[in-house]
Amino acid sequence: MSGLYDVDNVSLDLAAPSAGLQRLLPGSAPRMTILSSLSLSIGHGEMLGLVGESGSGKSTLARAMMGLVDITDGKLSFEGRPLKGRADFVKVRQGAALMFQDAVASLSPRRKVAAQLIEPFQINGVPLPDGDRAPAVMLERVGLSSSLGQRYPHELSGGQARRVSVARALALKPKLVIADEPTAGLDVSVQAEILNLMTGLRSDMGLSFLIITHNLAVVRHVTDRVAVLYLGRMAEWGPTREVFARPYHPYTRSLIAAEPQADPRKRRPDLALKGEIPSVLARPSGCEFHTRCPIARPRCAVEEPESNMITPDRMVRCHFAEETRIETQGGNHGT
Amino acid sequence: MSEALLKVDDLSISYASEEGPVQALRHATLEARAGEAIGIVGESGCGKSTLASALITLLAGNARVTSGSVQFGGRDILSVSEEEKRKLRGRHIAMIFQDPMTSFNPVLTIGEQLVDFQDQREGLSKPEKRQQAALMLKRVGISDPVRCLDRHVHELSGGMRQRAAIAAALLMAPQVLVADEPTTALDVTMEAQIIHLLRELRRDYNGAVVIVTHHLGVVGELCDRVYVMYAGEVVEEGSTDDVYHNPRHPYTQALIACDPANLHEQTPVLPTIPGRLPDLVNPPRGCSFAARCPRVHERCRSEGPDYVEVGPRHRARCHEARS
Ligand SMILES: Nc1ncnc2c1ncn2[C@@H]1O[C@H](COP(=O)(O)OP(=O)(O)OP(=O)(O)O)[C@@H](O)[C@H]1O
Ligand SMILES: Nc1ncnc2c1ncn2[C@@H]1O[C@H](COP(=O)(O)OP(=O)(O)O)[C@@H](O)[C@H]1O
Ligand code: SF4
Ligand code: SF4
Ligand SMILES: [Mg+2]
Ligand SMILES: [Mg+2]
Repeated sequence: MSGLYDVDNVSLDLAAPSAGLQRLLPGSAPRMTILSSLSLSIGHGEMLGLVGESGSGKSTLARAMMGLVDITDGKLSFEGRPLKGRADFVKVRQGAALMFQDAVASLSPRRKVAAQLIEPFQINGVPLPDGDRAPAVMLERVGLSSSLGQRYPHELSGGQARRVSVARALALKPKLVIADEPTAGLDVSVQAEILNLMTGLRSDMGLSFLIITHNLAVVRHVTDRVAVLYLGRMAEWGPTREVFARPYHPYTRSLIAAEPQADPRKRRPDLALKGEIPSVLARPSGCEFHTRCPIARPRCAVEEPESNMITPDRMVRCHFAEETRIETQGGNHGT
Repeated sequence: MSEALLKVDDLSISYASEEGPVQALRHATLEARAGEAIGIVGESGCGKSTLASALITLLAGNARVTSGSVQFGGRDILSVSEEEKRKLRGRHIAMIFQDPMTSFNPVLTIGEQLVDFQDQREGLSKPEKRQQAALMLKRVGISDPVRCLDRHVHELSGGMRQRAAIAAALLMAPQVLVADEPTTALDVTMEAQIIHLLRELRRDYNGAVVIVTHHLGVVGELCDRVYVMYAGEVVEEGSTDDVYHNPRHPYTQALIACDPANLHEQTPVLPTIPGRLPDLVNPPRGCSFAARCPRVHERCRSEGPDYVEVGPRHRARCHEARS
């Protein structure tokens, strides 16, 4: 069964930077693995969340899905058609749109909003749907007054700039929007407005969304399914509600436990996840999470865990997922 | 109960602009006691950083104090000489910024700078200062402090940079530590680690900590008391527990309600606060929240509310705070 966008066993290597590092790693090939054997499927009209620490490869995956960086291995398909060359990705860029991580910086400071809104049409050689009214129609679609088209990006608030980038992403009427940190740095009320806008567009236009974020509370409320990435590999995925209620992967559990609590009565005295995500140049052997995993055993350092479909719609990559599943049966590890 | 170390009394600050003075801070009152961590929260543009910059006497060039004072060590530190201010900043009041890059010079090593930051410390040789610096880096959880001393700031990860910035701030054992959005640039696990570190450091640090943030989670985890700001005013203050569990100002209530982290049931439509902050060049005559308040009535538009005491050390600037 194919979804709207399928990522099938995708890996992505890059040349490791600088000769200096090669000296540190004698004998190793000067490549570094950014994404490794990653599979993911986004359904029609689905909101999928992608979470993981900084450096886990979320933005790289988004860029690979748009053909902005080449994958080394595996298969990408959009609407069931495999994407092989440049020409295929040109089509994808009309059917799928990427909202960049820093929405405001991705707008040019010297061009008025209206001119930037119609760029996707110009770049792809598509005639303007509503002629001169195109920018106004686009702004209204995201709840902005059409007069904002005459402003420069620095004259917009953070929330308005974010809406403009949503409007721009919607220009070519895509079926899928990949939103990289769509609400980072926004106030909670503005964040809520942007998320409500996206869920509204999903129900009105049947759009699919891939929402990439550090903010687990956002994922919990707006997505149908969630995928957890660690050091370029999928740790776990499944229906959002279930993953939050019963996370099976130790990394997912640590992420959920790390969320700061506004209620001082729920303070956590201990630290859920110590240390930093390892460098892609020093990828740990076996399970890449074993250097930080609270329940790691000797086997974890030598043997890579397999992707394990623990129920028909939940995947976990951990040697001991079956054990945690039995332990958490009926229990509630969510917050 | 301990004495207030730092006291902000009726402080108002305006910025010169083409449209006229921006009244970024209006009649703010606040105190930080020894051993206490206070939080300052509110949405972007409400004046949090303006207040923080006054606490460390580092106002922008176009800023003007139009009323009030910041009392520290028995005097108004906003009216002392530049020389005195610089001494205060090095030694008694220190700051951590959102972007730790701003705390360091990119061309010097971390070690060189941590030694320089101790220039007001007498009777220590340079190697001893370096030793102090390494000890402090270790205290903030940097596992290989000696190597870190020889690095430049861009060679450190985001989390390490913020740790190094905290080390720099604590080096002179300041009595007041002000942190402006210390975790905003970090991901969720780094944020948790920095929160944990600040909490650990508080244990054997008897100074006052002031945390400025737009994230209620940071306040909940770290602060004993919280000041909620809106449009340049402190609209509610109280213990973190009282303010979270019994918020009396409609703005505080709305702020808590629209953070998805506080919603227990999954909901596709999140609550928002419709409307925008008022124009601070011409702030409204009555209550500054009136245009967005669900409980607004006639009196609110004509008469600005005073503080209403709603409990011990808990008050809100709203006509309806008691109902
Ligand atoms: N062009 C590149 N050259 C070298 N390394 C790269 C390149 N692009 C990405 N990387 C590395 O790949 C890893 C994944 O980076 P990526 O930006 O995808 O992470 P992310 O999950 O989006 O992080 P964040 O949450 O900080 O946005 C990181 O280690 C990064 O340094
Ligand atoms: N140097 C400055 N010149 C003019 N206006 C300023 C300056 N700094 C801040 N402001 C204005 O003062 C208000 C409060 O800003 P700030 O204290 O930075 O808020 P916060 O930290 O809560 O986001 C805003 O309206 C902002 O635009
Ligand atoms: S395989 Fe081992 S190290 Fe990896 S997550 Fe599972 S228990 Fe932890
Ligand atoms: S004084 Fe009136 S407008 Fe202001 S917060 Fe209270 S009820 Fe709302
Ligand atoms: Mg990214
Ligand atoms: Mg600020």
